Amino acid sequence: MPFKPAHFTSTVVLSVTALALFNLPATGKKKQEAPANEMDPQKRVVHALNRLTFGPRPGDIEQVSKLGLDQWIDLQLHPDKIDDSALNARLAPLRTLQMNSQELAYKFPSGQVIRAVMDGKISMPGDPVEKAIYQHQIAKLADKQEKKQAATLQTANVKDSSDEDASAKSAIAPMNPEEEAKRGDAMFADAEAQQLLALPPEQRLGTILKLSTADQQTLISNVKGDKREKILDGVPPEQRELMMALNNPQQVVNEELLQGKLLRAIYSERQLQEVMTDFWFNHFNVFIGKGADRYMLTDYERDVIRPHALGKFEDLLVATAQSPAMLFYLDNWLSVGPNSDVANGIRGHGDKKELKKREKQNGPVKQAKGKRNGLNENYGRELMELHTLGVNGGYTQKDVTEVAKVLTGWTLKEPRQGGGFQFDERMHEPGDKVVLGHRIKPNGEKEGYEVLHILAHNPSTAKFVCTKLAMRFVADDPPPALVQSMAQTFLKKDGDIREVLKTMLKSPEFWAPDAYRAKVKTPLEFVASAVRASGADVSNAMAMVRQLQNMGMPLYGMQPPTGYSMKAETWVSSAALLGRMNFALSLTGGKMRGAKVDAQSLLGTNPPTDGGQALADLESTLLAGDVSKQTHDTIAAQLEDPTIAQRKLDDPRHPPNVGMIAGLLLGSPEFQRR
Amino acid sequence: MSITRRVFMRNSALAVVGTSVVPAFLTRAIHAAETAGVQNKRLVVIFQRGAADGLNIVVPHAEQAYYAMRPSINIPRNAVLDLNGFFGLHPAMASFQPLWNQKHLAIVHAAGSPDPTRSHFDAQDFMESGTPGVKATEDGWLNRSLRELPKASLTQTDAPFRAIAMGPSLPRILTGAEPAVAINNINDFGVGGNNKNAAPISNTFEAMYDHSVDSVLHGTGQETFEAVKMLKAADPAKYKPAAGANYPKGYFADSLKQLAQLIKANLGVQIAFADIGGWDHHVNEGSTQGQIANVLGDFSQSLSSFWTDLGDLAEDTVVVTMSEFGRTARENGNRGTDHGHANVMFVMGGAVKGGKVYGRWPGLDVSQLHEGRDLALTTDFRQVLGEAVARHLGNKDLAGVFPGFENPGFLKYLG
Repeated sequence: MPFKPAHFTSTVVLSVTALALFNLPATGKKKQEAPANEMDPQKRVVHALNRLTFGPRPGDIEQVSKLGLDQWIDLQLHPDKIDDSALNARLAPLRTLQMNSQELAYKFPSGQVIRAVMDGKISMPGDPVEKAIYQHQIAKLADKQEKKQAATLQTANVKDSSDEDASAKSAIAPMNPEEEAKRGDAMFADAEAQQLLALPPEQRLGTILKLSTADQQTLISNVKGDKREKILDGVPPEQRELMMALNNPQQVVNEELLQGKLLRAIYSERQLQEVMTDFWFNHFNVFIGKGADRYMLTDYERDVIRPHALGKFEDLLVATAQSPAMLFYLDNWLSVGPNSDVANGIRGHGDKKELKKREKQNGPVKQAKGKRNGLNENYGRELMELHTLGVNGGYTQKDVTEVAKVLTGWTLKEPRQGGGFQFDERMHEPGDKVVLGHRIKPNGEKEGYEVLHILAHNPSTAKFVCTKLAMRFVADDPPPALVQSMAQTFLKKDGDIREVLKTMLKSPEFWAPDAYRAKVKTPLEFVASAVRASGADVSNAMAMVRQLQNMGMPLYGMQPPTGYSMKAETWVSSAALLGRMNFALSLTGGKMRGAKVDAQSLLGTNPPTDGGQALADLESTLLAGDVSKQTHDTIAAQLEDPTIAQRKLDDPRHPPNVGMIAGLLLGSPEFQRR
Repeated sequence: MSITRRVFMRNSALAVVGTSVVPAFLTRAIHAAETAGVQNKRLVVIFQRGAADGLNIVVPHAEQAYYAMRPSINIPRNAVLDLNGFFGLHPAMASFQPLWNQKHLAIVHAAGSPDPTRSHFDAQDFMESGTPGVKATEDGWLNRSLRELPKASLTQTDAPFRAIAMGPSLPRILTGAEPAVAINNINDFGVGGNNKNAAPISNTFEAMYDHSVDSVLHGTGQETFEAVKMLKAADPAKYKPAAGANYPKGYFADSLKQLAQLIKANLGVQIAFADIGGWDHHVNEGSTQGQIANVLGDFSQSLSSFWTDLGDLAEDTVVVTMSEFGRTARENGNRGTDHGHANVMFVMGGAVKGGKVYGRWPGLDVSQLHEGRDLALTTDFRQVLGEAVARHLGNKDLAGVFPGFENPGFLKYLG
């Protein structure tokens, strides 16, 4: 039953419920015998779920079988037809996910914005809550500067008295007034925290705002961890954000972004779109730790990547090239043509009023930080090496320089305040450029589109992008024939990503039996699939986000532009494997903060009291029964050991420790593959 | 799947289901290593990822062209820590000066990979595979250097810590047929934490992975659990940094601090790897202050602390640093530098004939630059590393470690 495009036209118009009426034969007890070179129908469903989603949830296999695999795939290829309101409800409290960069930079100011307010360059917001956040940050910054000064003084003093006996100094220690003040602060904060906890959650923010800035500071810097979580518990989302922002505004933006990513991977019904969004983000990687990019990734992923995830490659490429996130990350916003007006110190001739206005807002371009009078080839190089042609795609150092020239003037207004893309003619390199043998005539901003068009339609790009797609969906070393047919579609269909995926999904290579569970999961894929399989209810994903860091895959945390590897050898290491086992145990053992797993419910409404049956049921729920005899026997044998389970598998008076069995299965070798 | 990382190579006693105590032979092995001292030499390789700017690290302060090409980001002559009247260290690296004076620190300038690529990814890949220009090499040279290397101890049949990488994943340089472990944090390197049920759960996982037919996961799983048990027995947490080892805060310093613990715990470490990022300064690189000064402070202070921390063990240790390529000799339009070619490498060790800059200096006149823009290369990184592998570790099979490399001769920085 190969995935045929012919089905598409007929099924697209039908609604999901209508399709269900057909009652397509569900795969279950009676397994059809498949020829050796084909997967059986149940395996095809499991395989599709493993590759096109972040892993099957309990019940998914039955649902997809019922709907029909081809129909399900078609739906996944058209995410707009899929209702995703349950996910949106989960994301609603993370309000920053809906804001644009400007709003984020204003409401959750960075240190730079705060300094600008202190220097009188930006005015203080009028809104009382926003004002409190700013005042708090100003106080914090002033405090830090004071401490720094004190420290410099102290080192100077130490240098002066360097020949004094060191022990003489320590003799003064018991009188340390700093320590005493610290203790006083802690006691004050403790008392305040108790009072806050006694209040109804929605009244807590108001109470905090009534305190003086200094008292707020003492409170916030002393109340941490569990206690802070308790105070935040039950507080309406908006107020919760503000309370967190008092402490660290930037952290609110980042944590919501990180949580949003994981929650989408776990709960979105538009799974293929999320998989592809993750794929393209990684392809057009931007590192969250680089300055203003902290505020730019929210709309980069939401407005640049996701809407194009299944669209035309050229649209995606242009969108990333003009995105503030990419312009900032790979420095193109600073690149100036060596013979441009800015480099020559010539002031603008055009609309003088407009220029004056802009300069009033931003300061003259050439006086900006860093002497801006030359090319920066960072983006030009990565554009060809990583985004389009691939490193052996047939370009030279000369091409890199020429592309950099073409893209001069593609810059940003005030990135630190979330400003957007603009083309600045005065930074643009005049004259002809030659890229990959094409002569690019002087045409300002449009030269960039011309070059991006050339790159997007180059056969090397088709091959490079399709190889990466096949690596994500098919195999670490994808079959060349498959890549070739995908690349042909890419070139024929104007870089239509949906069409390329259809070609892949029709290919025998995708459905080859030896592809089944052959890909090692990346840490993100592992975490998301484990949470999905366990049916966990995640109220706060931060604990899981931190686990991903320990497994070597911090979300948005890849510093170089290469993005994360999709190959097994990167992710199979001692540290990472231990991280996975510990994650599995902690998740199903109820120890993962912010995630609730009802392990018992994995056994269905009528849980077996027989331990062997419980193990078998869990194997079926979590791994579609794809558990090796070795793993099965090991778990069964080990659970007989009273030191582990303290109960026997087949003793009805002591029900099996379902959480632990589930954890062992999620940490097993079998679950590490998809 | 073409990954054939590991063959099942040992019929280890550790494979027994339900093992909850450390096998006696392992404890014996640890003591044996302490006393026998058969092969205690070790090599630590440091990768500066992101292309460090060698010209602002070991500054050719006698070169007029250096100052002409870098009007805003040069290190002024009066600020460099002079080494020999021609070169000087960046002032943020003051902690390297004593090592230089004691002749434990040598420098190789204008060194690196001969491949002309300016891609971070490719250049790092080549420096880790040890085969510049050849993409098909499956394993890393540091892994291959273990192949013909005598074990740390004759009685030590299994040595999970023979080769270690600090970090959450095993880097390209250490992948290959020889066992190697990646350690993120020695304090939570185990399964199930500290509760009393942890050992049996750990054993269950161990048995699962031991019996798995999945060759990739099986091999790594087995190495992992051997390492976990050995680490527990050695308890490296009790080895605190030695007096005077003032590690700064941060990932790189933490890596080295933990590495020192593992070495001091006598776990048979022969090869270790750590990396430090943050060198890709396209914009506002800084000069005596700023981005490069910050990362250099971290880099040099961490390494000198590591050296102090190792104490007598430093005598048997050689540390070599490398970075995928250097940066343009001229500064760019944003007070930064773009991707270049040759770079600087540091070598430190007890047996190192330090206090000297090795390699031929190609000069910085336009005619002397590589492609008219970058420092030219006069020493292949494999000459530097090959010498450490052959003459320090004692692995004579250089052709196996660096296939296709025709060695023009060692620099003889080792005594």
